[in-house]
Amino acid sequence: MLPVVGAGSSLGLMNLSAQTPAGNAGSAGSAGSPVKLSYKTLGKTGLKVTTVGMGCMITSDPSVVARAVDLGITYFDTARGYQHGNNERMVGAALGSKRKQVVLSTKTEARDKAGLLAQLDTSLSELKTDYVDIWYLHGKSSPADIHDDMIEALQLAKQQGKARFVGVSTHSNQPQLIPWMVQKGVFDVVLSAFNFSMDPAVEQAIDAAAKAGMGVVAMKVMAGGPRNQKLAQQGAMLAALKWVTNHPSVATTVPSMTDMDQLDENLKAMAGPLTADDHKVLAAHLEIIKPEYCRMCGKCEGTCAQGLPVADVLRFLTYADRYGEFALGRERYLQMASEHVAARCGDCAECTVKCPYGVEVSKQMARAQELLA
Amino acid sequence: MRVAPLALVPILLAAGMARAQDYLSCQLAPGWTQSEPIHQYTADNLYDYKDGGAEGYLIYGFAGMKSLNCKSGENTLTIDVSEMNDADAAYGIFATNRDPRLPIAKIGMGGQVQPQSASFAKGKYYVEIVVAATDPNIVHTAELQALVNRMAQRMEGRETPPEALAWFPQENLTSAGLVPESVLGLKQLKRGYVAKYTQGQAFIVLEDSAESAAAVLKELRARFDGASDAKVGDEAFQAKAQYLDGICIFRKGRTLGGYANLPTAQEAASQAVKLAARIP
Repeated sequence: MLPVVGAGSSLGLMNLSAQTPAGNAGSAGSAGSPVKLSYKTLGKTGLKVTTVGMGCMITSDPSVVARAVDLGITYFDTARGYQHGNNERMVGAALGSKRKQVVLSTKTEARDKAGLLAQLDTSLSELKTDYVDIWYLHGKSSPADIHDDMIEALQLAKQQGKARFVGVSTHSNQPQLIPWMVQKGVFDVVLSAFNFSMDPAVEQAIDAAAKAGMGVVAMKVMAGGPRNQKLAQQGAMLAALKWVTNHPSVATTVPSMTDMDQLDENLKAMAGPLTADDHKVLAAHLEIIKPEYCRMCGKCEGTCAQGLPVADVLRFLTYADRYGEFALGRERYLQMASEHVAARCGDCAECTVKCPYGVEVSKQMARAQELLA
Repeated sequence: MRVAPLALVPILLAAGMARAQDYLSCQLAPGWTQSEPIHQYTADNLYDYKDGGAEGYLIYGFAGMKSLNCKSGENTLTIDVSEMNDADAAYGIFATNRDPRLPIAKIGMGGQVQPQSASFAKGKYYVEIVVAATDPNIVHTAELQALVNRMAQRMEGRETPPEALAWFPQENLTSAGLVPESVLGLKQLKRGYVAKYTQGQAFIVLEDSAESAAAVLKELRARFDGASDAKVGDEAFQAKAQYLDGICIFRKGRTLGGYANLPTAQEAASQAVKLAARIP
């Protein structure tokens, strides 16, 4: 059982205004509001982390990192590849003498033992530290992406004291990758894309990892990020963050933050449990995106009477409709088998594809055929 | 009515593809041959390629990317050409990702060539090139330099950095670039240019009008306890803050500018005067 201290049993209580010296540029919106910090233990690592951490990837000003430390956030995440290494340098400078007060993670995209270890040394130099708390293999989506010599590098880094714990970050195919990681028994932490809108199979994989004692860190928790205007307009970003921080299998999260206001807003996610109102907001958001939002769960595969690759066609339509990339959508569409390009949903009396998430498949497919064929 | 735009697409597509084929080709790198079709990415699927790093592109205004792999024996040359929303964004992402310890070379709006990698920005395009070699000690600088020169010659677009960057005083300047949102970590300063100095940093934000700039300045001033008037530009304040140290922010017409992270507010105001004088 994952040792969890829930949001309702927070160990810390912090008044932002009390912690914010006169003249500080932050926290105008929350001045005077007490904000609780909630903590969980990151699996068998035993590391105690705030349930809201900080993803530093797009943070440009070190003042935001410095203030996050002062406000009590204990988990900071960067990667060797972010801003071609400049992000690690910024984070290292911002943490300064407070580095050992926090849990610091970075990632590597190198693909062999020598490359991995060389990148770790560079990371340590840029971060101005002699160890990282968690060192991730960056962006893996399949067990085939992780070779034995890469695991050797992870273990060697631990033996040398350069990484206290090791893990893998993943954006996709978690139902296959995470159980493999658990079975392998050499990974301490998984950093996974995880939010309220994802397929239950991802949640099952994450639950199993937590149950096995693996620390779970969630990213992409806002289902599209703070620049997702649809989410922002409904005020759902905080609810989305709370959904993850209150998930029993997730120890911490790494939402990206670029300014003091985002920092203050995200801290509120630790102030209490997910409420009925939060559920309503998220449910309303899912309703809005449901008719068009393909979760790529693959459950429609093989169910089309005409044999169409439904998820692929919906993705091509997304290129054209939502991202203004008509040329790309059409190009991909025309690369399908000729019988699929020629197929028309209107030829079927009834659609045999039933999306478990309510995507209006036949309507969307017909639109793709009209637009792209 | 719906046919017309669709009918134009093949023409536009052909024109666009012809341009891409001009500058995105393994033939521009003698000894290298194309190993697979060109991959295309949008904001939707950039994560498939760049993983979490995709957000670093999206925040700058990413329109699309074409990626080409060339092979020479066991070695791979990867060329990524990102199309950004505008030239400023292309320069911005280049400036953010470049190695600030190395000088900027005159390649398009600016570029850098290193032993195993190169990058440059020209027009709305941001180009990244990486060599993955079996022997990582081999220096590819010369052939990368030749490749970026050929690519830049074939690409259309602006060849000068954003004009505002020239407004920053050059003495003790270490780097300068575009911050896509929250300049100085302040939400009110939405998008602007930041210059780092051996001590402190300066910024420039262009608002739509003098009125909107004045409103932002007023809002900012309210965030700084103990702010006092400063004589810079049309209006200004100075303050001492925990994370931004000595800071001075001024408005000159529709431009907001200032200095931060200097030992005192007075020093920030003194530097801000010099910056304001360089803004047209």
